[in-house]
Amino acid sequence: MSERRLATLKGFYQNYVKPSYEMAHKAREEGKLVAWVASTFPVEILHAMDIIPVWPENYASLCATRKVSVPLCESAERKGFSKDLCSYARCVLGSLFDGENLPEGGIPKPDILVASTCACDTHMKWFQVASRIFKKPLFLLDVPYNVDSASPEQLEDRYVQHYVCQLEDLVSRLEKYSKMKLVDSKLRKTLTLSNKTSELWLKVQEYRKSVPTPMGAREAFSAVYFMLCVPGTEQAVGFYEELCAELEQRVKQGVGIIEDEKYRLVWDNLPLWFDLQFFQYLETLKAVVVAETFSHVWAGGLNPSKPYESLARKHLSNMANCTIERRIELIAALVKDFRANGVILPTNWGCRMMTIGETMVKEKIQEMTDVSSLILDVDSTDWRNYDEFKVKTKLETYLRTLNSLFKIGETRRSAL
Amino acid sequence: MESLKLIRTLISANNKFISEWKRLKRPVLGYTCSYTPEEIISAGEILPIRILGSLEPPKLADVHVSTNVCSFAKSCFNNALKGEYSSLDGYVFSHSCDNQKKIYDLWRRYTTIPKAYFINTPHSTNENSRRFFRDELEKFREWLMKSFKVEISEENLRSTIRTFNENRRLLRQVYDLRKGNPPLVLGSEALEIVLSSMMTPKEEHNKLLQVLLEEIDTREDVPKEGVRLLVSGSIMDNSELLRLIESVGGSVVADDLCTGSRYFWDLVNEEEEPMTAITERYLHKIPSSFMYSSEERFRHTREMAKLFDVEGVLIFSLKFCDVHSFDAPLLAEELREEDGLPVLCLEWDHSLSGTAQLRTRIEAFIEMLEEQI
Ligand code: SF4
Ligand code: SF4
Repeated sequence: MSERRLATLKGFYQNYVKPSYEMAHKAREEGKLVAWVASTFPVEILHAMDIIPVWPENYASLCATRKVSVPLCESAERKGFSKDLCSYARCVLGSLFDGENLPEGGIPKPDILVASTCACDTHMKWFQVASRIFKKPLFLLDVPYNVDSASPEQLEDRYVQHYVCQLEDLVSRLEKYSKMKLVDSKLRKTLTLSNKTSELWLKVQEYRKSVPTPMGAREAFSAVYFMLCVPGTEQAVGFYEELCAELEQRVKQGVGIIEDEKYRLVWDNLPLWFDLQFFQYLETLKAVVVAETFSHVWAGGLNPSKPYESLARKHLSNMANCTIERRIELIAALVKDFRANGVILPTNWGCRMMTIGETMVKEKIQEMTDVSSLILDVDSTDWRNYDEFKVKTKLETYLRTLNSLFKIGETRRSAL
Repeated sequence: MESLKLIRTLISANNKFISEWKRLKRPVLGYTCSYTPEEIISAGEILPIRILGSLEPPKLADVHVSTNVCSFAKSCFNNALKGEYSSLDGYVFSHSCDNQKKIYDLWRRYTTIPKAYFINTPHSTNENSRRFFRDELEKFREWLMKSFKVEISEENLRSTIRTFNENRRLLRQVYDLRKGNPPLVLGSEALEIVLSSMMTPKEEHNKLLQVLLEEIDTREDVPKEGVRLLVSGSIMDNSELLRLIESVGGSVVADDLCTGSRYFWDLVNEEEEPMTAITERYLHKIPSSFMYSSEERFRHTREMAKLFDVEGVLIFSLKFCDVHSFDAPLLAEELREEDGLPVLCLEWDHSLSGTAQLRTRIEAFIEMLEEQI
């Protein structure tokens, strides 16, 4: 099966992720400004100011894939941080308390920290703890909750205004602190690149709609790195162009990422970073993940001539900042568009955002699409409560129930 | 003491004042967060009452919410599903924490209470947030007027503010009763007094507090002296935990709780334009842990500890309350290092399961303090 793996993604970690950490460490030595960034912060601002972003969430997932996240979580717990807190936060804080033999020489230290309240309380609180540890300032974007789940165009003006005013303030504080200027033309250029990245990433998703699908979750959870962490760069654009070319080829030849595609699944939330083999195991059951909600929430059009406003609209309407209904709509749309016949809803022990309302999601998805979902109570980074046998048994039982549904799916598909 | 007995009966969504209010066909509105500007609600002759949980296992909520969710928020939801709040005409949530904002979606889907509203409370206190919050509260006022067909005039707001401030001053006086040794009211009683304030029309509550403050001088069952403690946490809507502390020799004389001092400590400026004054008060009140930054709250906790001359601090983190759990180790460190205060950090579940273990740890902590003193 190995020849089916995508060439573009070979050595992804060595080629892209590792060097980014080396670069950040080096930049710091050279006296460049390094910022810790939480996802849903408009990172384009930092790119345009030549501030080097480091993503603690990415570092936590990296520690999990290297199987060192649990001892790090434990070290945070010894300092009094509850076992029930987000494992990303515990893992990274732990690495600051107990930092021997850390992957990539540890997470690069920040000169500043930036976060928004858009996705979760954890970002703000976790970064506040780190800001105290490092004695470096935290710049916080206080984002109002999009309680009507309004789309970018429907948002109330005062929401947009509030975001924009804060962003302006924040930029001027950043400028003062860093003694660097945010040049308009550079921001426009970054936004243009970010748009391009976004478009290409969505094109990647388009290819994945094909039957059989040319790309699964294992690849997507690596490749999304560019969309998430470095969207406004030439490197991101270059990478996705290459990926699109390869996918186009695959689709033309009708070569799927797995040989015998029987179950097409939508995956909500995060993967089990400590066990990415899980997706390979799915393949042995003839199941492939064709879409992840995670891959669809970061894209979004930006208008380079209205940079602040379009960043505001994009982030205010991010799924993480909306009600559960919005998530349900997205999953239902993915099921339909990607011709999926199953939905996996993994929760995340320390993440309220990804946990509360799973039964409501399941219920509504069934109503809207006729497809049943499977809730898996897991954690993305902390494997201490992971009962592999139980999870796999549950999954296999679930897939068997999909068998009959799949037949319905087939008629639907042949009619397409 | 009669007034104390009466107060205990008020911590219920069906107390005699609420029933009387309903009998007069006036609306009752439940709210879930101490950042809800009750004055605006009250000025429209709508009774604001705090939505509370209970000690029973949240069986109905368990169907919709998994284990790893704030047990307080879950218990409130359970009460709503059980029909405890069927007398409400509506409920208001606030943008406080992740638990609340997500559970709001479940309330909308699974409970039958007619009207729902969400106030987008900011998490920071800068000028932009102030402006946004001011608009947000104006919108809330309009919603109340339209939904309940009431008038909320500036004049009503002004007089409501006065009544609420009066309540806050009286509550402070009650708290002052704990400054001496022995304290004249127990910590558990003080908590019940504050909780009852959230469930009673403020005019009535003010009268009750006045009686209580008179009665207290002749109190016969004066509490025993004990190790003077401050309790810090997110929320405590039941006095059982404080009773447990009292039963092992602790004397809770001060707190830093949403349902304690943080509820009433700050006044609304009576000189300013009412909506602006209300905005200011709620934005700058002693913050909860979901606000940025925690420094202000820590300052308050430390000041309380000094003011009430405490000998030790108990920090209670409610299971799955992230905002508080991130703060707990920081606050503990500050209290230990800056004030030299012994601190015990504990995790607890709202239904008080696992109390035996809590009791043992609290007992050991108090014994340790007794030896030191
Ligand atoms: S996993 Fe959840 S709690 Fe943790 S950082 Fe992500 S959104 Fe926040
Ligand atoms: S106790 Fe904490 S988690 Fe629970 S509702 Fe209050 S702030 Fe939210």
